[in-house]
Amino acid sequence: MSSRKTQRTVIIGVARSDAHAVANHLIAMRLREAGFCVVNLGVCTPLEDFADALVAHPDAEAVLIGSLNGHAYEDLRDLPALRAAGRLHCPLIVGGNLSVGSHKDGDERERLLSLGVDHILDEADQIPLLLDLLHAARATPLTGV
Amino acid sequence: MLPPWTETMQYIRKSPKRAPVEVLRAAAARGRPVVQPRCGVGGHDEMRTLLTTLERRARPGILTITIDSFTRLKQFRTAAQTLQREPADLNGYPLVTHGWRRGRELNESVDAPIEVRHGSPDPRELFAVSLASGFTSFEGGGIDYNLPYSKDVSLTRSLAAWAQVDRLCGLLAEEGVIVDRELFGTLTAVLVPPSVSLAVCVLEARAASLAGVRCLSIAYPQGGEVHQDIAALRSIPVLARRYLPENVEIFPVLHEFMGVFPADPDVADALILYGGLTARLGGAAKVINKTNQEARGIPDAQANVAGIRTAALACTDLLDFVRVDEATVEEETYWLQREVAELVEPVLAAPDLAAAIVDAFADGRLDIPFSASVHARSEVIPKRDATGAIRYLNPGRLPFSRPTLRRNEQCLRVDRASLSRRLIDEIRSDINFFLHAERRFQADRATVECPGPANTGPGAAASSGGVR
Repeated sequence: MSSRKTQRTVIIGVARSDAHAVANHLIAMRLREAGFCVVNLGVCTPLEDFADALVAHPDAEAVLIGSLNGHAYEDLRDLPALRAAGRLHCPLIVGGNLSVGSHKDGDERERLLSLGVDHILDEADQIPLLLDLLHAARATPLTGV
Repeated sequence: MLPPWTETMQYIRKSPKRAPVEVLRAAAARGRPVVQPRCGVGGHDEMRTLLTTLERRARPGILTITIDSFTRLKQFRTAAQTLQREPADLNGYPLVTHGWRRGRELNESVDAPIEVRHGSPDPRELFAVSLASGFTSFEGGGIDYNLPYSKDVSLTRSLAAWAQVDRLCGLLAEEGVIVDRELFGTLTAVLVPPSVSLAVCVLEARAASLAGVRCLSIAYPQGGEVHQDIAALRSIPVLARRYLPENVEIFPVLHEFMGVFPADPDVADALILYGGLTARLGGAAKVINKTNQEARGIPDAQANVAGIRTAALACTDLLDFVRVDEATVEEETYWLQREVAELVEPVLAAPDLAAAIVDAFADGRLDIPFSASVHARSEVIPKRDATGAIRYLNPGRLPFSRPTLRRNEQCLRVDRASLSRRLIDEIRSDINFFLHAERRFQADRATVECPGPANTGPGAAASSGGVR
């Protein structure tokens, strides 16, 4: 995969209130192994920083935000405002433990999708597959994936 | 307002209590580690009750005040507001907010000396209040309390802040007051390669001793493979002789397993006992115990009492018959010390130690896995070998020699092509090392409890397939 002419770029990081570093590092590792250029913003990253990173890396295929502490909705609350301001226009993928504690899984997904999150993943191992699907869909816009 | 310096010195000198350094010396001389719990709650009365309860019921050699995270980050106002509103919401004791008078009250409420444990990249206010409270044991360092805890505090800043603390310890030592400075080699607590832990501590210890510190506890986190852990603990005095001035006293400390802990209380207790035994076999002067509520969060006093007692049991002569394979320990020791040398010697050769540390982390010549901070590259990928020992799957940019790399490769014996696809699962499995032991134990227990096909309980079907 690394023999591609131009390297594919993704932006990853952990949601604002979340300091879980291990999964973030493992995902970065996995994507680098798969040949991606990974811009890793690390733990405790506000949404604004993801938007800034996208400005700096406009070729990024997607922004991946991890959240393990159950505060995904609160941490992504500003997404509609940012999008309205013309920022973060790129597939936004969220994954991790979104339904910690008393949150209902379905509700939490609906709430995140209503903010404008494009994809929600349960397993980190699904990330390369989803990125490939998005990539293929973009390359051949008429095939309904 | 802090009391005048002379008053603080007088208070410490006149204290009838044994100093932390004296407790450590006695433990080292006896060859049996003292046990120290972690403990910290928000309210003052609750903290005093916790300390006196632990002392009365478990007699640890040294006690702890664990500081809340607002105070660690110098958010003293938030700490004060939370203390006023709901002390139970604090995850430790806000010592700066409570102040040195209450600190002294805690100090005088127990016989054992007290260490302040926290996680602050800039501990200057906290150290001043600790000292005024009479606490002469203080954990942390400019690398080890920065990279695992803060996202974006530069190492230059944290090293400078800790250098001030260490210089003050130097002044105190000149006046005859020895502060025990404990270094937190545990770092991120997840699959930390032993040579990374020891290298960071050697560099911090050198910086501290140059600043005048005369007593250093070097803490190493139990990784889980006993030969490797014993080799690491026994290497601490050897590395100290090699890299530190002679006038510094060094005490090896073991932190009982800091990773994902079994939830089953029986398995947790076994792991606590195992940690105590590892500490004794490795020649540690002190062991920091875990509790069988670890998997559920901050333990209550009852669980902490049990944890201290279980760890202490492993350090009695009851288990003195236990031996390990010394040849394996020796082999581990050779390679471990070689790795540490390859990491620290280029840094120690530079004229300005702090600047050399900052540069080395920026370049990745020093690195820690799974860093929370952007100031470490975290290109190092650790992996357990078949015995459970922690090796370098990928050394990143660490300046290892060919033989060192080959040795790691040989220990791991992995098929890299197939591993890359399962990497996340494999490392997750390594992180959950002791959960596998828990699962095996529970499977065996289910087999014992439901022995035959006559049993119609819910475990019957599982056990009939599980009989060995």
